[in-house]
Amino acid sequence: MGSKQTVFTHEQLEAYQDCTFFTRKEIMRLFYRYQDLAPQLVPLDYTSCPDVKVPYELIGSMPELKDNPFRQRIAQVFSDDGDGHMTLDNFLDMFSVMSEMAPRDLKAYYAFKIYDFNNDDYICAWDLEQTVTKLTRGELSAEEVTLVCEKVLDEADGDQDGRLSLEDFQNMILRAPDFLSTFHIRI
Amino acid sequence: MSAYYKNNRSEEDQGYHDYSESEDYPDFPAPLNNPDDPRTRRNPYSAGSRVSPDYPVSLAEPDYPGSLSNPDHPSTMNHPFSATSRISPDYRRSVAEPDYIELQRNPYHPSSSRQPDSSQFQQNPDVAYSRSSGNHADSRTNPDYFGSLPEPDYPGTQSNSNHPGSRTNSTHSGSRRSIEYAGSRINPYTDSLGEPDYPGAKNQHNSSHFWGEPDYPGAKDYQNSPDIWGEPDYPDAENGHDYGSSEAPEMTRGVLSRTSSVQSMFHHRIDGPLVIHRRENEDYPENIEMTSMEMTDSYGHSLPGAPRKGYVNPAYVGESSPVCAFENLMLSECDWHKSPEGQKLIASLIPMTSRDRIKAIRNQPRTMEEKRNLRRIVDKEKSKQSNRILKLNCCTQCLHSISRAYQRSKNSLSEFLNTISLWQKTLKIIGGKFGTSVLSYFNFLRWLLKFNIFSFIVNFSFIVIPQLTVAEENTLQFTGLEFLTGAGYFRDTVMYYGFYTNSTIQHGSSGASYNMQLAYIFTVGISLVICFFSLLFSMAKYFRNNFINPHIYSRGIAKLIFCWDFTVTHEKAVKLKQKNLSTEIRFLKTHSNPGAVLLLPFVVSCINLVVPRFYSMFRLVERYEMPRHEVYIILIRNIFLKISIIGILCYYWLNIVALSGEECWETLIGQEIYRLLLMDFVFSLADSFLGEFLRRIIGMQFITSLGLQEFDIARNVLELIYAQTLVWIGIFFCPLLPFIQMITLFIMFYAKNISLMMNFQPPSKAWRASQMMTVFILLLFFPSFTGVLFTLAITIWRLKPSVNCGPFRGLPFFIHSIYSWIDTLSKRPGYLWVVWIYRNLIGSVHFFFILTLIVLIITYLYWQITEGRKIMIRLLHEQIINEGKDKMFLIEKLVKLQDTEKKVNPSSLVLERSEVEQQGPLHLGECDAAPGLRFRQSVQEDNSRA
Repeated sequence: MGSKQTVFTHEQLEAYQDCTFFTRKEIMRLFYRYQDLAPQLVPLDYTSCPDVKVPYELIGSMPELKDNPFRQRIAQVFSDDGDGHMTLDNFLDMFSVMSEMAPRDLKAYYAFKIYDFNNDDYICAWDLEQTVTKLTRGELSAEEVTLVCEKVLDEADGDQDGRLSLEDFQNMILRAPDFLSTFHIRI
Repeated sequence: MSAYYKNNRSEEDQGYHDYSESEDYPDFPAPLNNPDDPRTRRNPYSAGSRVSPDYPVSLAEPDYPGSLSNPDHPSTMNHPFSATSRISPDYRRSVAEPDYIELQRNPYHPSSSRQPDSSQFQQNPDVAYSRSSGNHADSRTNPDYFGSLPEPDYPGTQSNSNHPGSRTNSTHSGSRRSIEYAGSRINPYTDSLGEPDYPGAKNQHNSSHFWGEPDYPGAKDYQNSPDIWGEPDYPDAENGHDYGSSEAPEMTRGVLSRTSSVQSMFHHRIDGPLVIHRRENEDYPENIEMTSMEMTDSYGHSLPGAPRKGYVNPAYVGESSPVCAFENLMLSECDWHKSPEGQKLIASLIPMTSRDRIKAIRNQPRTMEEKRNLRRIVDKEKSKQSNRILKLNCCTQCLHSISRAYQRSKNSLSEFLNTISLWQKTLKIIGGKFGTSVLSYFNFLRWLLKFNIFSFIVNFSFIVIPQLTVAEENTLQFTGLEFLTGAGYFRDTVMYYGFYTNSTIQHGSSGASYNMQLAYIFTVGISLVICFFSLLFSMAKYFRNNFINPHIYSRGIAKLIFCWDFTVTHEKAVKLKQKNLSTEIRFLKTHSNPGAVLLLPFVVSCINLVVPRFYSMFRLVERYEMPRHEVYIILIRNIFLKISIIGILCYYWLNIVALSGEECWETLIGQEIYRLLLMDFVFSLADSFLGEFLRRIIGMQFITSLGLQEFDIARNVLELIYAQTLVWIGIFFCPLLPFIQMITLFIMFYAKNISLMMNFQPPSKAWRASQMMTVFILLLFFPSFTGVLFTLAITIWRLKPSVNCGPFRGLPFFIHSIYSWIDTLSKRPGYLWVVWIYRNLIGSVHFFFILTLIVLIITYLYWQITEGRKIMIRLLHEQIINEGKDKMFLIEKLVKLQDTEKKVNPSSLVLERSEVEQQGPLHLGECDAAPGLRFRQSVQEDNSRA
């Protein structure tokens, strides 16, 4: 308990608890994980809310993300400026969304953002190609990738505008019961 | 100039205090912090000496309007630039002043909001300079933008209902000007209004760019604003709309009319009961004020004429918790809640209970700052409201605090439960290496373990402990072999049914009595009932989550792509998964119709059902298109195998052992079940450490083509279910069986974990983990648990307990203990209600008949509702597709329309643009956006005059 008080104020912890799906303990654990990433950068006293960002290189080297093909996208989506450098808030946000407790819609929203590589609020063919290439480590040929993308669009594009909107995506995720358990990073 | 400065200084003293900190003030001629000053300096250069005399005058302007004038600075600036510098003094005295006075009389909110804006500027003077160097109208216009943005908020905050008009006008960025315009005979002012025609329009364009530009620190905080404001989704999105559209000068004409409607909307909102608007809206100034408090303070001083204004802001500042001062800077980055949507959200959050509210906030796809901010706002609003209401109603307050305390205790409870949750780390490693599918087996195991812990605790506390208090000496020899056989020494322990007494336990003469018979039957019964419901609920939960929409459930390629398993973190596993995925994608590509192949496995499974002996051989022959089908087939076969095993055993126990007249047959059955469980456990262990290990050695060393094996989830899960079924059956005959199962499960977890890490590779099949869990629990419920209930029901209602041992000795049937209990109760007047309940509800056939009927009716109704929903979903799905088509159609039409418009009228646009460019350097008008037609006209007039 003692360490808690020195890192965060009571109000801060409460706010974090209300804004994430974590318990106090988990928040503290996450904080120490965060602090461990860059011990010289992150202070052990957050009561004054220092404006600290851990660079993406360190975030991406976490064992949870290290081998994830989407690690860069995840970091970008959850960082403030889209550069992958994360504040503690971003960090907590990320794991909160990725936690077991987060509801499907929230997860779907962020998953959509992760797959939306060019940040245009639509998953277009190009985004899909990126996704497929990342998923298969370039084992598919270019034609195969294009074919897959076409198929995906064909399957999930409800309004037939040639790209997936958030609604399309959510609609599709609804049919994928595994999504809830797979869009999940354990900490 | 310096003279002017001096002169002015005396009068401006206060004014400048407002805009800059006092220490900056001496630098005033070139104060870095004052956005006006650089301009003043620049103006002389660019506009020539003739302007300069006016210039200080215009500088002076800020003072007397006080804070109000801050945004005017730019406008006064415009005068010198627009070659009407000489007019500006006039304007100032004759026109502007009255205006301002008037404004001061009616505490003019926009002003207060503007002021902070200017201070915002001060904070980022560098950028302002760099911008303004070439075209400093930009920098100037920005304050206007800022000013006009928060303005709409302010009207609300200050609740000056008398002058909503003036306020709302101001929201249009032209407010000030429009007033002036009306009052002044000189039009230079309107220059800034007529910007679309004027070069100003260009500036406007630029400035609107500014918004999004991150390198502009001042604007950065407001970055979101242009999005919010400029978005066509919010037609009422304040004048921001104008800004957005101002980029296309010809469109601004229409804007005015629109803004008027916006005005009215604003009135509406301001007058409306929604207090929230104010509060969130005030965020802009809030940030700024928080960052430079002294500024606001001095501001308050400097406006003796309108002190209220000055203090309003601090008031709000005070309202927002000072703790969050640091947040406020960041806060401005998340202005979304100022948007109508944000406000709607906040409004909807307020009436919620605190639990729902937290849930809703958590579920917002926003950044932490935004959520925190939202929480703060809503909480404050709530407390404000409740303060108002609760002053009268302390009862509600009490309830409120109770609910809060409950919330807190629940939080800490869940925290506590989380800390005792087992194997978190191990599960993470397993998930990281083998994915969610294998993980589901271990989750299931853990789930079962919890179940058994619960059963054990119940049994132990209600059956075993009372029995232990009256336990007799055990005369049997302990050899050690008993651990395997479960017989011998263990026969006369609390482990088995036969050891329990049928008497009523009573310690001391007056102590409470404890009827062992009843305790036994009720404990077992209740623990089974609780198991039943928890099974039912978890099954329902999984079904709800995983089969939301079974009829549109499709196995598509899209799901494969978007359902990457984020839990997998192990490098090798990731690579393997990627490889598998590419094969699966290839596979899916060629097999577009997965539904048709379902038939074959079904038929094959039926055949296998008929000839179960040969099913292992059949497996060699069968080829399944989908890997999952094979899993299901194996599952079904295994289930039938296990069901038949347990069924035969139960038949043997209930019909042969129980009727054989053997002494204490219950204990015999208990021993048998114990042995079965133990054997099963030993075999699993051996299988894990020997079988799987050998298989790995063979796969790695001898027959390398076999490779590493994969973890057979189905088989392992069925083993668990089998063991659990045995435990449930045995719970009646051997109350400590859950304890044994608890230990075995605990050991199994580690054994399986080690074996998994050593001997297996990640599954190559595409497992559907969540579905698997659903199937597991369904299996556990349906054949297993219901079967157990049947068995136990037969035992209790139909079988004769052994004569010489156990709590039910001497009774004709087990259930007679209940009957006799009811009989004794019926003699006591205090317990007649229990008797009544038993006779009319539990023991009554009619009641169950009616109950069944009702349940059937409800089920039928629900079924119908589900059917209706299915149709609804299909319709909605079609609607989505149609909407998409509509959208495409409309877009096409719009594009076509635009094309034709361009063709018809290509010159007007070009003309306007050239006009703008031509006059650009001269009229660095403000980039405000409400340039209506009339302004344009007036401007043209002015031009011609000039």
